[in-house]
Amino acid sequence: MDETIKSAKEGDHLAFAILFKENYPFLVKYLMKITMNPDMAEELAQETMAKCVQKLHLYNGQSKFSTWLISIATNTYIDQCRKKKREKNWLGQEETFRKMKWHFESRNEEWNDAMEALGKMPEEIRVPIILKHYYGYSYEEIGEMLKISPGTVKSRVHNGIISVRKELKIDEEMEGYTSRKRTNGFEGL
Amino acid sequence: MKKWKVIPLESEQMDLKDYRAIDEINRGLEQIDQFPVYTPDIQWFEQMITVQKQLSMKKLVKDFTVFILIALFILSGIIVSLYHNPFIFIVLQIPVIVFIASYTGMRFVKKVNEA
Repeated sequence: MDETIKSAKEGDHLAFAILFKENYPFLVKYLMKITMNPDMAEELAQETMAKCVQKLHLYNGQSKFSTWLISIATNTYIDQCRKKKREKNWLGQEETFRKMKWHFESRNEEWNDAMEALGKMPEEIRVPIILKHYYGYSYEEIGEMLKISPGTVKSRVHNGIISVRKELKIDEEMEGYTSRKRTNGFEGL
Repeated sequence: MKKWKVIPLESEQMDLKDYRAIDEINRGLEQIDQFPVYTPDIQWFEQMITVQKQLSMKKLVKDFTVFILIALFILSGIIVSLYHNPFIFIVLQIPVIVFIASYTGMRFVKKVNEA
């Protein structure tokens, strides 16, 4: 285990602070991707760190510290979504990611259709897709993080990708391309 | 030798479609990584840790006190009923068992539904 983590576990506040400072941008950016809301990401990052202070003694060093942070952050986010839905305080995802869209536009960056599709998805599908295809975690690791079976993760990722394909009209585009290719191929024979 | 045109099979095409969708997603997400994130200074983190540790200590003391008080209340009730009115003591066992069984069952059903 890393020396800083060891010192933090022994109660060294400075080591703890260094550890958090090093991982803070990574954590906020991860939360921005899954929440699609910069304000909520910062709020959740602080809540995640507060939980880490209480739970650090449970960290066994088997996974990377960042993976452990991601796992706590993800569960904190999912709990918050459930709570908001229960309280009927749910604004809807489109309302939530409007600010993110604005951030993209203010930086002259393109808010692509895939982001739009990802933003419209429920969090239980969006989170596994990001963890699998952007961060490269295995289905088993994601299952452990979300406390669901690897098979469930796999089907959620698969269904999510299919809905992105539909939203981006990739299937129609590629079928058109293949039929054009076939026609050209037959003409060439 | 005749050069054959390669037409992708359905599964291959499926992979290609998935690959394109994943590529689009990753391109969007990469842009989020370019966003500047303000990181507070080390003192802020130290202060946050101190406050959190104080809060968790307070919570521990509060939970422990509540636990001891409730335990003492229940124990004294049981002892009083056992010595002064054993019939009530025996009758009380039935609702307690029913309550524990139904509470455990409800928690289990809730967990299964959430999963």
